[in-house]
Amino acid sequence: MDVVRDVSFQLNDGETLALVGESGCGKTLTALSVIRLLPDPPARITAGSVVLDGTDITGVPESTMRSLRGDTVSMVFQEPLTSLDPVFTIGDQIEEAITAHRKVNRREARDMAVEILKEVQIPSPRQRLDDYPHQMSGGMRQRVMIAMALVLDPKVLIADEPTTALDVTIQAQILELIRAEQERRQLAVLLITHNLAVVSQVADRVAVMYAGEIVEEAPASEIFANPRHPYTQGLLSSIPSAAGDSKHLYTIPGRVPDPRVLPPACLFAPRCPYVISRCWHDHPGLEASNGHLLRCWNPQPFIALKAVEPEVDRSVATSE
Amino acid sequence: MVVILAISSAVIFYALRSAPGGPSGGGVLSPLSSQEIRQAYEKRLGLDQPIYTQYFIYLGHIANGDLGTSLVNGTPITELLKTHARNSLILGLTALLLSYLIAIPLGVLAAVKRNTWVDQLAMGGAILGMGIPNFWLALILVYFFSLRLGLLPSAGCCDPPQLIMPALVLAAEGTAVTMRMTRSSMLEHLRDDFVRALRAKGLPEWQVVIRHVLRNALIPVISLTGLRLGWLVGYALIVETIFRWPGVGYLLVDSVLRRDYPVAQFFSLLLILFVLLANWFADIAYGLANPRIRVA
Amino acid sequence: MADLTVLDEKAQWEAKVERLWTTRPSRWRDAWHELARNKLAVAGSLIVVFFTLVAIIGPVLAPYDYAKQVLSDVLLPPLSNGHLLGTDELGRDLLSRLLLGIRISMAVGLGTTAIALSVGTVAGMLAGYYRGWVDRIINGFVELVWGFPLILIAVLLIGAIGPGLTGVVIAVGFVNWAGFARIVRGEVFALREKEFVAAARALGKGDLEIMARHLLPNVVGSALVMGSYYIAIAIIAEAGLSFIGMGAQPPLPSLGQMISQGSGYMLLNHWLSTIPGFVIVLLVLGLNVLGDGLRDVLDPRLKGVS
Repeated sequence: MDVVRDVSFQLNDGETLALVGESGCGKTLTALSVIRLLPDPPARITAGSVVLDGTDITGVPESTMRSLRGDTVSMVFQEPLTSLDPVFTIGDQIEEAITAHRKVNRREARDMAVEILKEVQIPSPRQRLDDYPHQMSGGMRQRVMIAMALVLDPKVLIADEPTTALDVTIQAQILELIRAEQERRQLAVLLITHNLAVVSQVADRVAVMYAGEIVEEAPASEIFANPRHPYTQGLLSSIPSAAGDSKHLYTIPGRVPDPRVLPPACLFAPRCPYVISRCWHDHPGLEASNGHLLRCWNPQPFIALKAVEPEVDRSVATSE
Repeated sequence: MVVILAISSAVIFYALRSAPGGPSGGGVLSPLSSQEIRQAYEKRLGLDQPIYTQYFIYLGHIANGDLGTSLVNGTPITELLKTHARNSLILGLTALLLSYLIAIPLGVLAAVKRNTWVDQLAMGGAILGMGIPNFWLALILVYFFSLRLGLLPSAGCCDPPQLIMPALVLAAEGTAVTMRMTRSSMLEHLRDDFVRALRAKGLPEWQVVIRHVLRNALIPVISLTGLRLGWLVGYALIVETIFRWPGVGYLLVDSVLRRDYPVAQFFSLLLILFVLLANWFADIAYGLANPRIRVA
Repeated sequence: MADLTVLDEKAQWEAKVERLWTTRPSRWRDAWHELARNKLAVAGSLIVVFFTLVAIIGPVLAPYDYAKQVLSDVLLPPLSNGHLLGTDELGRDLLSRLLLGIRISMAVGLGTTAIALSVGTVAGMLAGYYRGWVDRIINGFVELVWGFPLILIAVLLIGAIGPGLTGVVIAVGFVNWAGFARIVRGEVFALREKEFVAAARALGKGDLEIMARHLLPNVVGSALVMGSYYIAIAIIAEAGLSFIGMGAQPPLPSLGQMISQGSGYMLLNHWLSTIPGFVIVLLVLGLNVLGDGLRDVLDPRLKGVS
């Protein structure tokens, strides 16, 4: 059963690509497959390639892959509390990340750790080294994770929902931090998120995923000004805006399809307001026009979709 | 804890003294002795007084450092304490060490190689280890290694060859339980989020498993140690008796069967104290191992 | 026109999705099926059932009186004429003694566990439900007793009241109830916070009714799992105590006692000890495996507790 199909993208230095989609659309799996961290049962890479700086790293031995992880390609995860080992101090964990790839002694590693903590703006960094993860706030923990990811000056940073578990006020700070680091180091950033507000703050380019496929890709400004795929349009309509009709929130009717029973052609057909007969017979390919990629047979211009009086589904399944 | 000890000592004192049968004095009196001789003997030992009086006299003795003497052979209990406690400690610590040395690596292996033949074998062994009564295991081992093969001595103390079989038997059940616990704890923690993050740092797999996952997984295992020590005391009673290993367990069983009050009393209290301490230490150890509790 | 085709296609697809979601059978039937699939657990339960039957009707069918000594037929090996399992050093038929021994073991095991389970469950329920000082008192006892080696308590108790099965039963029951209380208390703690308890109270139901009709069924699963393990513990404890002379007294053929008696004849007549031993091992194994199976099915949370 393929959960991710035909997903292709390119990351450039100093640029942030945002991979957007609902939970379950395969974006995390895509990210994990870049550094081959898929949980092998049950997931596997069956096709495709990953090219780093011109070199194909798809089939390299595990040891090579390991030397790349954390050093050339780093990843930051969603929930910083559970992503850190609770029985080790953060100092230990950062030093561990360093010594795994560099031949430095303990003192040098420690100094490097202090430096990077300073850079991510953690106050009194040397004291903080002896703290345990549960002693820090969520925002600080995420800074630590970012520090750990950047300490060896990687070329690529993959951030999987880095702000989802944080307060809104902290979110902005973390995003700003990522932005700043990207500029300073000319990082290529792959940002995974389901939150369009996040996208609007930091993304240079946006790729929208649905049910394991990319359905639209364009520069960020384009996506917000001129979304062409009905799904993207639906996502944008769902954002509550201060100016718009605040009484009814629009939601895309229907649900993400179960991978075991996919629609026969276009995967969005069951929920699409502009669906035509062809959508149920031919699977649309990804077409390019002016740097704007689109997978749709019947795109319509974007009008902010108004909320329809919600039909209350009275056939609620009774629990046993 | 002191309260418990006080209550226990009183209960034990009362219970032992009021038991039917009376002291047979380890051969001083035979069951056929006449009433007069029996009464005279009891008077000499102060057993004809009301029990609570006896209790306070006893407490007085202890305060003076006089732990009493065995009714069976007159050895002062302090002597018995030194030799037998030492023997039990040797046996117990060996068994404990053995069990951890076997159980933890096996548990880790079984978890990492889950559902392979290694795992099935280990789990099968664990189930057996938990099911076989230790005295029967002892008999079988003695049968093979002593009677048939003549390799190991079947009883006595204190050369190393004599230690092997008792230690193995004593360790058996605990090893099985610890192994199962290690395995399930490992399986649980292998699924933790931080494991993925550690791999993303580029750490080699063995480091992830041993340095990080195991460390987390051992926390419940460590907290189990106190309990294990308690159970070990119980099993030691039987194992020492079978192998005639002159430890506290052997002494206790023997003294109870022979109504040697002072000995039975003192050593049962000692064991109870030991169990209580062990449980207490286990709580502390848990706190040390788990930083979330420690620092809070 | 195009609209109709589209709606039609959509309907077809939706039908397929519907078929994927089958109805869910009840929890107990689910559990039953899953248990049956676990071959090991099935084997275990068969063993337990077998021994229960033997315990009930075995001694009635025994070929000889278990205490009858026939000094001319001493130490016959198994499969001798008229003695399926041979005889012991006093000429008593091993099979007959074994049957009674099984009954003793099962009785002690089941009896003590039934009591321990009842007392423990009630205690745990009260402690978990009422909390406060009730919990402190009950839990104090539980924590105290729980860590204690069964055998130590038994030896002391028997020192007081003399050897015999009574002592064993009391000692085992005395320690084992704490295990049940602990588990039940933990579960009740968690369940108490769930909505259905609040709902029941809002409907005006009394404490007793809530405990009996709502909490109890949820707790019974874990209790059964523990029960299986504890029966095994009780059986081993009884055997061990009898082995060192503190349990059943001769001529009562407790399995442990038989092993002890036979230990002196290991070299030439090992069956006197090995056969009762095998019986215990088999029975305990069956119980443990059954317990594992029940646990996997009823409450995965208990994994790691033994």
